Amino acid sequence: MAELAGVYAASHGPMIVRSWEKLAPAEKESLTSAFSELGKRMRAARPDVLIVISPDHWVNFFIDNLPAICVGVGEVHEGPPEPWLKAFPHRSLAGHPLLAEHIVRTAIEHDFEPSVSYRLALDHGFCIPLWKTGVDPLPPIVPVVFNDLEPPYPSVRRCFDWGTMLAGAVASYPGNLRVAILATGGLSHSIGEPTMGRIDEAFDRDCIRHFERGDPRALIDFLNERLPGAGNGASEIRNWVAAHGAARGRGFELIRYDPIPGVYVGCGFASWNINQRQG
Amino acid sequence: MRDYWLSKLFFDLQSPPLAEEYRAGRKRVLDRYPLKPEVRAAVESDDVAHLSTLVNPYLLRFYFLMAGMPEEDFLRRIRATAAPVDSSLPNSALRQAAIGSLSGPGPENT
Repeated sequence: MAELAGVYAASHGPMIVRSWEKLAPAEKESLTSAFSELGKRMRAARPDVLIVISPDHWVNFFIDNLPAICVGVGEVHEGPPEPWLKAFPHRSLAGHPLLAEHIVRTAIEHDFEPSVSYRLALDHGFCIPLWKTGVDPLPPIVPVVFNDLEPPYPSVRRCFDWGTMLAGAVASYPGNLRVAILATGGLSHSIGEPTMGRIDEAFDRDCIRHFERGDPRALIDFLNERLPGAGNGASEIRNWVAAHGAARGRGFELIRYDPIPGVYVGCGFASWNINQRQG
Repeated sequence: MRDYWLSKLFFDLQSPPLAEEYRAGRKRVLDRYPLKPEVRAAVESDDVAHLSTLVNPYLLRFYFLMAGMPEEDFLRRIRATAAPVDSSLPNSALRQAAIGSLSGPGPENT
C-alpha cells in the first residue's frame, strides 16, 4: 500500500520570479528562507510521487471548456509555457499514470467527476514552488488542477472533501509508494481587479489561525464568508483546503507568512504533521 | 458575463509570436476576431475600465502587461474602476473598507 509521506502548501506568485531583482532584500530573504525550509521538509519525506494541486492560469483551459477539477494522467507533462520561466530547469516533467488513474477511479467511487488530461502544461503555479524548494531530482508529478480563476468555483467544502478522498486514494493504492501532496497558491491577493495590489493581512492571519485550530467546519464557514472579500487570488486557498482535507484537518504548521507587496501576495508556506494523533 | 471573442483574443495573445505580431500592428490581428464594434473600440483605446467588465481579471492583467502598458498606469486605471465611495458611511475607516485598503504596492514600489 502507498503511504502519505507529507502534505505541504506554498504560495506561487509569478513576480517571485519575474520581478525577483526588484524585490526588497527583506522580501527576498523571506521567500528564500520559506522555500528553503519547505524544500528541506519535502526532501526529508522522500516522496516517490508528488501530487501537486494548483490552478491553471489560462494555459490548458479556456472558457470554452473549463473543468472544476482535472487530474493529469499522462506519462509526461510539459514544462511551463511562460516566457519568463525559461530558466526553469525542466522542459518536461514525468507523470505517474498508475497513481493518477487510481485517484480518478477513487474519485468516481466517491461521487466526484473530475476531468482528465493526458497532456498538461504545468504553469508557474506548479513550477515556481517545485523550482524554488530545490527538490532535485523531482519525483514524478500527478498534477491536480482546481479551477480557482474563473467562476463558478468548486465549493470550499468540496475541496476539503476532495482532499479527504485524495488521502484515501493514496492509502488504497496497491503499490509501495511514498506520496506527498503540495498545494500551491494564495493567500490573499488581487489581480486585474480594482483592489489589485491589496494584501489582506488580517484575513490571512485569521485564515492561518483556522488552519492551526484544525476544525474543518469552522474553516469552511470562515472561508465561505470571507474568501470573496480577500481578492480574486485568494480563491487559491481552496488548494490549501484540499491539503487540509488530505491531512484529515489536523497538524497544520505555519512555516512562514509575510505580506510581500513586491509580489502582490500574502505569501504563506506550511506543512501538516500528518502523524499527529487524532484528538 | 464574459465576452467570448475578446477573451479568446487575450487568451491567444499568450502565444509569443502572436503577441509580437500584435505589438507590431494591432489591426491585422484584430481583423481576425469578430469583436463587436464597441469592444474593438475599447481595445483600440486601451479602455481598461470597459474591458474589465468583459474578461477574466487575470486575462485583463496579462493583456495590458503584454501590450506594454506601464504597470503604474494599469494600476491607476484598474483602481479607478472601484465603486464610488459612499460618503454617508460613518467614518473614514469604513469608507476605506468600502474600497479596500490599497496599502499594497503602489506605483512607487512595483
